[in-house]
Amino acid sequence: MELKMEAIYNKTLSATALIGFIAFLLLSLKTSPFSPVPIYGAIAFAAIMFTGYFLSNSLLYGQDSALFILACFITELGLIMLYRIDPAVFMKQINWFALGVLAFILSSIVVKYWVNLKINPLYFFAITVILLLLPLAFGVEKGGSRSWIQIAEYSFQPSELAKITFVLFLAGKLKDGRIDGVLRLAAEILAVAGLLAMARDLGGAMLFYLTALALVFAATSRWDLTAAGLAASAAASVLGYFLFGHVRVRVEAWLNPWQDVPGRGYQIVQSLFAIAQGGFFGTGLGLGHPEYIPAVATDFIFSAFSEEFGFLGAAALIIVYFLLVYRGIKISLTVKNSFLALAALGIVTLFGLQIFTIIGGVIKLIPMTGVTLPFMSYGGSSMVMSFISLGILNGIRLNERRQEADG
Amino acid sequence: MDRLRKNTKIIFGIFCGLFISLIVYLSYFTACEREKLIQSSYNRRLWEQEDRVTRGTIYDAKGRPLADTVIDNNVKKRIYPGGEAFGPLIGYSDRRLGRAGLEDVFNGELLGVIEKDPMILLRQKILGVSDRGNDIYLTIDSELQKTAYSMFRGRRGALVAMDPNTGAILALVSSPGYDPSNLQKKWDSLVKNPDKPLINRATQGLYPPGSAFKIVTLAAALVSHPEIEKKVYYTPGYVKINGRIIRDYEGLWPGNYDITNAFRYSSNTVFIQIGQEVGKDDLFSMAEAFGFNARVNTDIPAATSTIPRPPMLGGEVELAEDSIGQGKILTTPLQMARVASVIASGGKLVTPYILQKSVSPLGIERSVHNIEAPKQVMNKSVADEIKALMVDVVKNGTGSPAQIEGITVAGKTGSAQNPFGKTHAWFVGFAPAENPKIAVAAVVENAGGGGANAGPIVREVMLQYLNSLQDK
Repeated sequence: MELKMEAIYNKTLSATALIGFIAFLLLSLKTSPFSPVPIYGAIAFAAIMFTGYFLSNSLLYGQDSALFILACFITELGLIMLYRIDPAVFMKQINWFALGVLAFILSSIVVKYWVNLKINPLYFFAITVILLLLPLAFGVEKGGSRSWIQIAEYSFQPSELAKITFVLFLAGKLKDGRIDGVLRLAAEILAVAGLLAMARDLGGAMLFYLTALALVFAATSRWDLTAAGLAASAAASVLGYFLFGHVRVRVEAWLNPWQDVPGRGYQIVQSLFAIAQGGFFGTGLGLGHPEYIPAVATDFIFSAFSEEFGFLGAAALIIVYFLLVYRGIKISLTVKNSFLALAALGIVTLFGLQIFTIIGGVIKLIPMTGVTLPFMSYGGSSMVMSFISLGILNGIRLNERRQEADG
Repeated sequence: MDRLRKNTKIIFGIFCGLFISLIVYLSYFTACEREKLIQSSYNRRLWEQEDRVTRGTIYDAKGRPLADTVIDNNVKKRIYPGGEAFGPLIGYSDRRLGRAGLEDVFNGELLGVIEKDPMILLRQKILGVSDRGNDIYLTIDSELQKTAYSMFRGRRGALVAMDPNTGAILALVSSPGYDPSNLQKKWDSLVKNPDKPLINRATQGLYPPGSAFKIVTLAAALVSHPEIEKKVYYTPGYVKINGRIIRDYEGLWPGNYDITNAFRYSSNTVFIQIGQEVGKDDLFSMAEAFGFNARVNTDIPAATSTIPRPPMLGGEVELAEDSIGQGKILTTPLQMARVASVIASGGKLVTPYILQKSVSPLGIERSVHNIEAPKQVMNKSVADEIKALMVDVVKNGTGSPAQIEGITVAGKTGSAQNPFGKTHAWFVGFAPAENPKIAVAAVVENAGGGGANAGPIVREVMLQYLNSLQDK
């Protein structure tokens, strides 16, 4: 059985590498005069992927290889688009990819040997709050939100790391299936969401909040609390609409972007033009106009991908993301330790919600919030932390197997 | 623990729903919203497309080109063989000046970006014809258009001729026109020209209809108060309403008029009395049934012709003015051609259209007009009564300049007062009355009486069109 799976994984891996070579070859041929740089990119990508795969397989026997392979496939599609958009960005991103793979293996190992499960969740809460306070104190503004800190030439988004500590905090709090002090927990969750909102990262605030709600529901089955939480978030949205100008702008751009195309509707309209241009089959790699889309390397990379790969490519990408969510849920279901099961569920929920939020935003299904598309969007924090999230999922699975073997 | 597993599965179910909704919405977007977005004038890709593809040709109903792309020294150039008579209708497409007219309306067709069927797109790519847009065929008869245009002799005005049974537009003239070829050089003088040749008066010009609107008043009277037909009205030559005096035109004798004579000689005072009997609500709803106050759902964008909603109380002066097509009623020549068509077609309101078909580079033909079914405005018997009165107008009354030997013409004149000088001359009619083939509405701005000034233009257009049908 294991061998058969291994053969499938190897084939998938080879296919992924092949797709990379074909795509980058096309990009090479398209640049005139002929440039070999994209081919080097494909080689570098394949080298990182294969090294990461075999290294993790030998270090972590019994790991969930599908997580790694799917993530690499999405990263590859992202790298192809980034090369299209700006080769310089591509160069940086491939380094982040390498670092991400390394982080994946390390975090898998750390979680696998995580023995002391009795860390007081309060520590995780404290770390989360400190991480979120950092940008408020020392942060720089980027793309309208003050959620970045700059160290030398690198900027880093602490909220990406806070995602993990926040999930661990919740998992620790809820692992017994009941809540000691509903009000206190509510206050803690709201404090975290509030800090994100203060940094004007409303998309992030919403993701954290909904994830907390999902975990509370999963651990306690308290429909009343879940409903109250959803009602509160609806009320907060309405309140936010009336209180904050930038929320209103987002919602109005969503409801009717055509009212002010050169102004507030500009981003979403350009995104929709791109997706519309793609149609069913796409314009083909290299034949679209990603340069017309604002923030195309980060928030709107899905639109650029849709334009060149069409509806079929975009739907396939959504399905690949869905498969990742599915594998994550499956890990959560197999784990017997409730802390680890909740941690896995929390990470998957954050991950899945983030994907839904950004894809739904750029196709105008829901209002646009500036969150990144994991593994695809350009950015070191996002890339490395997405790999760490998967690493933790992988580690949780390995941890379970290790304990089974011990027991 | 089991509880946690169960809830995890519920959450997974929610994720299934969320991800499916993404794909469903994306499918909907690709299938339904896409076309509109691709053609949006905000879309910069359109100009890219424009550079890459050869814009399709616009033909008239008989296959004569009205706008064509020629390649001259590797530079694509748009030429307009129709000249001045077609300028306001066909419009232009120019990177600096933008787009107007049918070049704008059918831009997506002409660039070939409208094609939805992915298999056809793929075939076009494989066959190497994807760099050519669709050709379109209009319902316009370009000879008729030229004749109509020349009849205006440069005067300001507009004419719309259509098939009253189908709504197919046969001629749509706005005068003065312009030749869209080499537009950049002429642009400044066109913009500065006080006669505003860039405006398509036939679809965008809003004029008071004057007495031509009496068709609607008459229809309202015959539908809601059939007894009016047998009544006789007295007019001293003027009528006083709330202190406001409205007069008949000078040539009208004071005396007793039945409805035939009042319509034949276009008596304002009698029609005001009829309007009072009909009442403001019935007149208003009949006008709306004729297509006023509604956007024309057609392939050629037109301004909405309007009649103000009557006030709850009072409004006697407004009612009097509305009855004779003065006051605040505003109409496009296109709408008046529809009014004539209602009577011509036995009471049906047709939707005008101008696009006959589009032909893709692969030769696939498509009739694009998705026209609403005509609405019955009134019974055929009422329409036929009005038709008889309109025949009488041309035979014995104000419309006599539109008489054609051997053909029964039905018509109604209008001389609409306006704040800019002499009255606007209107003629609205159709022919042959027994079996109408063409309905025409023409307006000549500040020309004076409707019969004398607009009548001969309409006559010429009808005559030429009916002759061309015979030649066939």
